[in-house]
Amino acid sequence: MTATAPTPPKPITSAKDPRFAPTLYAHVGQAESWTLPYYRRNGGYEPVKRAFAMGPDAVIEEVKKSGLRGRGGAGFATGLKWSFMPLKDGKPHYIICNADESEPGSFKDRYLLSEDPHQLIEGMIIAGYAMRASVGYIYIRGEYVHAAERMWAAIHEAREAGLLGQNILGSGFDFQLYVHRGAGAYICGEETALMNSLEGLRANPRLKPPFPAAAGLYGLPTTINNVETFCAATQILRYGADWHAGMGTEKSKGMKLFQISGPVARPGVYELPLGTTFRELIYDWAGGPLEEMKAIIPGGSSCPMLPWTDSILDTPMDYESVAAAGSMLGTGGVTLIPKADCIVNATWNLVRFYGHESCGKCTPCREGISSWMTRMYQKLVTGRGQPGDVQLILDMSDNIGGRSFCALADACLGPVLSSIKHFREEYDALAGTQQPLYPARKRWKDA
Amino acid sequence: MSYFAEKQPLVADIFSRYPDSPQGRRSALMPLLREVQDAEGFVSESRMAEIAALCGTTATEVRSVISFYSTYHTLPTGKYHLQVCSTLMCALAGSDELWDHLVETLDVQPGEVSADGRFSVQKVECLGSCGTAPMMQINDDGYYENVGPSKCARILQSLRQDLQPLPDNPVPVTVGADGRQVLATGQAIGSSVTGLHRLPEQAGGEA
Ligand SMILES: Cc1cc2nc3c(=O)[nH]c(=O)nc-3n(C[C@H](O)[C@H](O)[C@H](O)COP(=O)(O)O)c2cc1C
Ligand code: SF4
Ligand code: FES
Repeated sequence: MTATAPTPPKPITSAKDPRFAPTLYAHVGQAESWTLPYYRRNGGYEPVKRAFAMGPDAVIEEVKKSGLRGRGGAGFATGLKWSFMPLKDGKPHYIICNADESEPGSFKDRYLLSEDPHQLIEGMIIAGYAMRASVGYIYIRGEYVHAAERMWAAIHEAREAGLLGQNILGSGFDFQLYVHRGAGAYICGEETALMNSLEGLRANPRLKPPFPAAAGLYGLPTTINNVETFCAATQILRYGADWHAGMGTEKSKGMKLFQISGPVARPGVYELPLGTTFRELIYDWAGGPLEEMKAIIPGGSSCPMLPWTDSILDTPMDYESVAAAGSMLGTGGVTLIPKADCIVNATWNLVRFYGHESCGKCTPCREGISSWMTRMYQKLVTGRGQPGDVQLILDMSDNIGGRSFCALADACLGPVLSSIKHFREEYDALAGTQQPLYPARKRWKDA
Repeated sequence: MSYFAEKQPLVADIFSRYPDSPQGRRSALMPLLREVQDAEGFVSESRMAEIAALCGTTATEVRSVISFYSTYHTLPTGKYHLQVCSTLMCALAGSDELWDHLVETLDVQPGEVSADGRFSVQKVECLGSCGTAPMMQINDDGYYENVGPSKCARILQSLRQDLQPLPDNPVPVTVGADGRQVLATGQAIGSSVTGLHRLPEQAGGEA
């Protein structure tokens, strides 16, 4: 760099930065935001025109350049994922939107679906065009009835307006979109289980490889992305890759929808640049905790919980920093656990969740989590603990971790191992004296 | 009596969403199940056989798929089927007590229907509404959020008179009228979408 080169502007890592503006949620909560006229009045369906003018390969390049990473939990580079789709194989290609949103602590996609469905449709047209797909499915969890209705209505509006179907906006590109509703099973969020579910089968995960880009839905090239990922693509095509890459940290770029739940003044969804600190989210946006806290789940229930300390609160919420602190950014679903609540009981709730949601395909998860782990926790929280129980849980975890067919079993170990690591004394109390350090208390009250 | 015989356009619409192949036919299974359950409240043996024939599979296969998911019923539920979220974020807001309260006051256990036929209850896992915990869903009609003791009493009182209150949809409005996000202090801060720069080619000649 020469001495005269202008220094690039400092990346935006706080939503309080005067340069930051919410885009994904800019219209959530506004009257009629889910209708086509509203969407068009606010610049809707301009990004897709830009995509058509650029050509499909340039769209993938633009998404790569933006630094966008998957918002469904794993944070895989989106542009790279799109480039895995074969170019000239002559087969039909599919894209799927993962709107199964079932990771406890996550509730951002629901409002995108019901309040801004056209933002998602536009993102999927752009992605379909880039990946040469002719059909897209939006897999919405069965319980999101209202969201599915809004989504269907928006699809019909888009069809009427020639935004879906043959030769969209004169581009020569044909694309059709459908909603497929789930029926209540967390595992359907796992991409290969989701494809089985879409094919009308039991939603057991499939062996990888082959990866979906080679053989996915109906055995054909398929790419799955989260709702927020597609919506971010719409914004990238609107404001440009450089705008997106101007937010966040070196490896975690752009804006993210963070959710916050637990006893805070203003639980909800906040759109913040990656790299914003937990402290800013919890205090400045969510108004601070309502009681003394002891633990924080940073990104949805499968992300290891972290102790409530100043250094954790000052950790930037980006993929690398949260990993360095010993957890994961996941879906960005932050949950606070109060000091007065028994951590073993809280973890038991999640173990029960994963045990219930295990699909039963593989033994370490079906027997290890649904049966053994569940019983160990039941024993502890019902006052029948014995010395050695905690060690037994650790030994069982050793035999489950990394040995199961899909990531669900490991997801369960996130809360188990982290709660033992940070709050061992609460386990020892239950195993030694059969009494919890923090006895059950009343929590049900009027809002 | 066949359920779908009179509903050819609906069946055709569902099949049109999937490829015209045996695999594509099978994909219609879940939408067809949903259709029957929405109309009849549960999926009976004879409906399973009917759906199996439409999708080119067996009734046993259909039952196997049904049993995989938590929202299909093979027996009638109460007129109001209360699905209470029991996962951690709701539990931190007292969903266990909400559940105990429902089971006691309605005098109904999971799998049963109350004596007057009105109520059944089910514990469900995180419904994606953790910011408004505790919460429950009634039938397939929508979410009832922030269900504290008084609100619960009001809902039950209405249901006992067969007046179902409208579901909630409190949207997390974080963006104010000027397009800026609002801090907990009430102060709007940052920029707004209209203030964002436009791309050079957009700033130019577009209508
Ligand atoms: C057990 C399990 C559950 C998952 N649930 C979801 C989900 O509800 N929504 C989602 O977008 N991704 C979920 N994922 C991640 C998906 O498999 C997949 O990585 C993601 O949809 C890819 O999209 P992205 O690259 O845009 O993040 C889940 C993964 C696992 C292993
Ligand atoms: S780890 Fe659990 S959810 Fe995943 S395949 Fe095995 S049994 Fe199924
Ligand atoms: S835990 Fe109840 S809605 Fe998420």
